[in-house]
Amino acid sequence: MSEVITIVKGKGSFQQTPLSNDSRYESDDEDVYMSDSEAQQNNEDLAKSQIVTPGELVTDDPIWMRGHGTYFLDNMTYSSVAGTVSRVNRLLSVTPLRGRYSPETGDHIVGRIAEVGNKRWKVDIGGKQHAVLMLGSVNLPGGILRRKSESDELQMRSFLKEGDLLNAEVQSLFQDGSASLHTRSLKYGKLRNGLFCQVPSSLIVRSKNHTHNLPGNVTIVLGVNGYIWLRKTSKMDLARDSPMAGSSGSANGPTGATSLNPTQNVSITRLEEESSWQIYSDENDPDISNSMRQTVTRYANVIKALAYCEIGITQERIISAYEASMAYPNIGSLIERENMEALGADIINAEKMRGNGV
Amino acid sequence: MSRLEIYSPEGLRLDGRRWNELRKFDASINTHAHLSDGSSYLEQGNNKIFTLVKGPREPSQRSQLDQSKATLNVTVNITRFSKFERSKASHKNERRTLEIQTSLVRTFEKNLMLQNYPRTVIDIEIHVLQQDGGLVGSLINGITLACIDAGIAMYDYISGVSVGLYDTVPLLDINSLEENAMSCATLGVVGKTEKLSLLLVEDKIPLDRLENVLAIGIAGAHRIRDLMDQELRRHAQKRIANSSKK
Amino acid sequence: MPLSVAEKSYLYESLANTPSIRPDGRTPYQFRPVEVYTDFLPSSNGSSRIIASDGSECIVSVKCKVVDHTVDDDVFEIGIDIANERDDSLIVESITSLFNNVAQGIDKENLRLTKRYSFKIYLDVLVLSSFSYPVSLISFGIYTALNSTYLPKLISSFDDLEVEELPTFHDYDLIKLELKVPLVFVLAVVKDNIFVDPASNETEVADNGLIVSWTNGKIVAPIRTIALNDTFTKGFTPKLLQEGIKLIEKYANDIVRALEAL
Repeated sequence: MSEVITIVKGKGSFQQTPLSNDSRYESDDEDVYMSDSEAQQNNEDLAKSQIVTPGELVTDDPIWMRGHGTYFLDNMTYSSVAGTVSRVNRLLSVTPLRGRYSPETGDHIVGRIAEVGNKRWKVDIGGKQHAVLMLGSVNLPGGILRRKSESDELQMRSFLKEGDLLNAEVQSLFQDGSASLHTRSLKYGKLRNGLFCQVPSSLIVRSKNHTHNLPGNVTIVLGVNGYIWLRKTSKMDLARDSPMAGSSGSANGPTGATSLNPTQNVSITRLEEESSWQIYSDENDPDISNSMRQTVTRYANVIKALAYCEIGITQERIISAYEASMAYPNIGSLIERENMEALGADIINAEKMRGNGV
Repeated sequence: MSRLEIYSPEGLRLDGRRWNELRKFDASINTHAHLSDGSSYLEQGNNKIFTLVKGPREPSQRSQLDQSKATLNVTVNITRFSKFERSKASHKNERRTLEIQTSLVRTFEKNLMLQNYPRTVIDIEIHVLQQDGGLVGSLINGITLACIDAGIAMYDYISGVSVGLYDTVPLLDINSLEENAMSCATLGVVGKTEKLSLLLVEDKIPLDRLENVLAIGIAGAHRIRDLMDQELRRHAQKRIANSSKK
Repeated sequence: MPLSVAEKSYLYESLANTPSIRPDGRTPYQFRPVEVYTDFLPSSNGSSRIIASDGSECIVSVKCKVVDHTVDDDVFEIGIDIANERDDSLIVESITSLFNNVAQGIDKENLRLTKRYSFKIYLDVLVLSSFSYPVSLISFGIYTALNSTYLPKLISSFDDLEVEELPTFHDYDLIKLELKVPLVFVLAVVKDNIFVDPASNETEVADNGLIVSWTNGKIVAPIRTIALNDTFTKGFTPKLLQEGIKLIEKYANDIVRALEAL
């Protein structure tokens, strides 16, 4: 293998996904005969699994409520997409195999400003439609108690402009399924000091926490929509992760009598501090070291390798893949297919060994 | 051309098929995961076609925004090298291409549940790398597969096939030599029903023969639907097996 | 897709560093892996499909025809089509003219059939998508397509000026086309560093871009600068040009070897 470039010859058929390496069902190159029996049998074989395809009858029992991916005709419920049937209580729906990210309330996402409009930003979140971020749903410089004024409307671009990345939470959904976002918390806002990368949203599992501090002083924001931000860990990130001294209540006793709780004090001053213009700054930290940048790059490549192998991306997997990737001192070699596959296999095997996989 | 025996007395066609046989049909989906939301590659005989579906997504122009449903665009790029003889001019703005695009939009507008995706646009981009007769039918099959791959809701499969009429014999799934030698009809059939969502007859066909032509066409289209369904399930199974790793 | 200011400055600083850190960790002379299919269009004399790791993709078809070169001595024609771009758009026209320029450097002696007739090569390129400036990809595609091209074997005599006869060919024997097209490389300049094969986020912050062509162990024309983005275009020193040329001289052979090894 040359260090300069790897050129592989594609396999006979035009398939390139790693899914495709098993043999094809087509037995020969002969013309297809007009016999239906063979197809019939095939359908029966497959009917055992819960895969349905468009136009297929899912149930003729009218008791089911029709959810996404189905349609209703003459008391029969049919599938409208190819996917798996899910039955939750009375709700029958078909989950498509693929599709764009569809936002849900409470999702922690990473987005990119696509458009600055009247009192609102349009944010690209990789969904079917851009999400909306209202001017009233962001923290503005000057603290939470500050009132919005007309001048804010005029200087929206000085807060967030086209191309800017931010993390936010889905506040609510509109009738048509598009999302309304907010950044009214210190963990949300403009993203700096790092590198963006993107994976299919289906690989990200919704969980309680989507911001993680990783070994090597790197913090990852794992957007549910598959947009990922890797950055140098800031003081804020560390503070978030450290056990909250006040919350346990041990210092002040269970009564919580001290009204001037020290931690509360800190958080309010920090809020004040952070709500200054700095939260919308475009400047990166001046002292991001070379080794830090290399670590960020390594994480980015590791994530791409996981995505290439279609392995669900979680904090634990990223860390173990990162550790496994140390076997490749040259970070650039991680973009090679073989290495990505090897890394993916390593992770799956390691999990099986520990018994928490599958 | 006229010397060629299109249909021999023994009942064999130029490429050795019988009257009711399809050409080799080979399809794969999700071929361009990086470029599109859904994609397919289809070989129907010597037709080789890439179909990319991009969307539903935010329209780039306000004019494409429809409050009640998604806007569907189809562009067909017939490459200059797609035929045996390279064409001198590009096919991009040819009337024939524009007509095909319009009829494809019409066919799929009713089958895709565009009302589920208001204020978005769905772009379907087709690249014909090679063509050998019955092109429109193959385009339909390619679009159906790519749209399913993209997870766009639809009522049913649409499968397309062309049928020629040689004297009194209908010939299923004709190639370009046959297409040039006889009149033919292209069908787009909805699922396993006998409903046609597209019927293109561009030459003269005796009315009393049309029923025969349609009957074999529908049977052929059903077979194509089954082949597409097989490929899709095969792909789905692999995908599910894969995701159990998560 | 526009990047944010913070992203751009992070990328720029990483690339401008000594040693530079590319966003995907490559060395300055490392190309992204590509996947190549050849010979899949039976109605063309040669074909290739080339896919880069970011999903950029290009398809090349080679068709040929016998022409009387005493009438028309233009025996090499290139048509470039980029999906979602009009034929008269700036990028299509500039890339077409670049490759016409490249084609002038080809030794067309091998296309000569007889004293009167030649093969004429029609090269059609379809760029399905490109996330960065596609000329390297196109050039690799053209190279592999021509490398997979087989033409009919001539059986009539070479000297046909005296006796008027059309060239006749062997029924099924084919001969491999020996036609070497220069490879075209894109380099990106960031401050005092230069890299091969910039990815899309690298082109966004590059100060300048450079196109270098190479054939048979030599750097050839065209060599020129290109604007990889509209915001960052700055000048660069001739020293960097030399460095870039050295980089290509040193590593182009590896590329050729990899392309030929298919």
